[in-house]
Amino acid sequence: MSDASKNPETVRLLAERHGLSKALKLFPDGVKAAAERGLKPLGELPKGTTSINSPAPIFNPARFVSEK
Amino acid sequence: MTGLAYLTVAEGAELLRTRKLSPVEWTRALLERITSIDSNYNAFLVVTADKALAQAKAAEVEIAKGQWRGPMHGVPYAAKDIFDIEGMATTCHSKIRKDHRATSDAFVVKKLHEAGAVLLGKVALHEFATGGPAFDLPWPPARNPWNRDIHPGGSSSGSGAALAAGMAPAALGTDTGGSVRNPATCCGIVGMKPTYGAVSLAGVFPLTYSLDHVGPMTRTVEDNAIFFHALAGHDPEDPTTAKRETPDCLKDLKSGLKGVRIGVIEHFYKEDAEADPDQVRAIEQAVVLLQQLGASVKTIRLSPLALWTDCNRTIHQAESYAIHERDVQERPEDFAALTRNRLLPGAFVSAAKYIRAQQLRGALCREFAEAMRDLDAVVTLSSLLLPCRIDDPAAIARTYDQQCRLVFNVTGTPAISVPTGFTDSGVPLAMQIAGRAFDEPMVYRVAQAYCEAAGTCIGADGKTQPRLVATTRTAAE
Repeated sequence: MSDASKNPETVRLLAERHGLSKALKLFPDGVKAAAERGLKPLGELPKGTTSINSPAPIFNPARFVSEK
Repeated sequence: MTGLAYLTVAEGAELLRTRKLSPVEWTRALLERITSIDSNYNAFLVVTADKALAQAKAAEVEIAKGQWRGPMHGVPYAAKDIFDIEGMATTCHSKIRKDHRATSDAFVVKKLHEAGAVLLGKVALHEFATGGPAFDLPWPPARNPWNRDIHPGGSSSGSGAALAAGMAPAALGTDTGGSVRNPATCCGIVGMKPTYGAVSLAGVFPLTYSLDHVGPMTRTVEDNAIFFHALAGHDPEDPTTAKRETPDCLKDLKSGLKGVRIGVIEHFYKEDAEADPDQVRAIEQAVVLLQQLGASVKTIRLSPLALWTDCNRTIHQAESYAIHERDVQERPEDFAALTRNRLLPGAFVSAAKYIRAQQLRGALCREFAEAMRDLDAVVTLSSLLLPCRIDDPAAIARTYDQQCRLVFNVTGTPAISVPTGFTDSGVPLAMQIAGRAFDEPMVYRVAQAYCEAAGTCIGADGKTQPRLVATTRTAAE
């Protein structure tokens, strides 16, 4: 996925899909650099962390009851 | 009364309580000083002189009647312009928010009002608490009182500048990846990022949802603990605040370090990244001093700094973009270039990458908690490098992630930046002290012991004060 940021046409398509046509027109270098950063994969996860581990914030329906 | 510019909160509170100093006198002296020197430092966006004098007068009357509310009663402070104050714009230092008007006070502002504190005004920041010191915004960037040409740190840049220049004894900041501790580091002051949930975020314009923290900024550790107490506590309007009593950070503040176990996260600045030799020398001397003060010290290892950075930045990018998406799409030209460049990457972060960053965050939090099982505190660097020139956006962008602060936004645990001295050319140096969740008392205790022994905090003695550029001499001097 990170290679996508090196292809100007892919960056243009992604930027337009995200509603960034104006930003792309005014600041093409900024959008290209942003695509590189945003599409860069995360570093290697620590041992034991996989795609089926729970994320840090866990949905808790009880929270909404106790809010008010 | 001389020396009001660098009077500490603790000293001032005692003088106010015993009626040896009037809140009006203190406030007026600082307002005069702001008028005299701030055109050189741009710390304040708005000075609320009339309101400040009215609050100071009210405090004076109450104290005279024996109705002293506590150590913040009659004490002046400044607020980063990201906190709502009823009737005022919360500009976030942005053209986009120039016409905003807040309809109520942020929870912490209400708390400070109830404590009798005196608001001097709202201070500068990096636009929307991100980006950097920008010259393409309606207001100029705050300048570093130690050297106007170097970066004052941010995003709570005005808070850091106001404190170092003796324009306020306390200031509110916010911290998502180090925005309280970075200006503390660059301006030679003390900045605390408390535990996530210890201080309410209600009425504070968000940068992210899960990494933002409100933090007290002062010139001394004791002042910071006093200020933290005035801010902390459960807020029914903010579901992220913890329903627990705020621990007493003053009780054991001066108990020393005998028996305290401290870990040093050395690999962050010796293996994972290249650090400035002056920063490294200063923290090494600090570690020796901590041992001499009675602490047991050992080196510990966590995941590499780059992994913590990836985790923080991915969450930061995704959450901040969710907040600013419409403006980035419709009026990108209205942001400063530095801000726009920080917000745009969020458009390209996939949902899967964001979830993986949250999974990584869980793993890193568990790792830190495990490391802290037989420790009371850890120390590591704050900034890896010295502050660059304020007018060099390329250097600002390049050095943005060269820091160890964002680690403790990932864990949500308390971390304080304290001064460790100066380079030969007078640039402030600093380190962080961090602790377990809700163990602010231990973090303050270690910080107090170190700063007291090292004598590195800005003080009234004049030895550790910046040489300021002033147009006239004021009563505060």
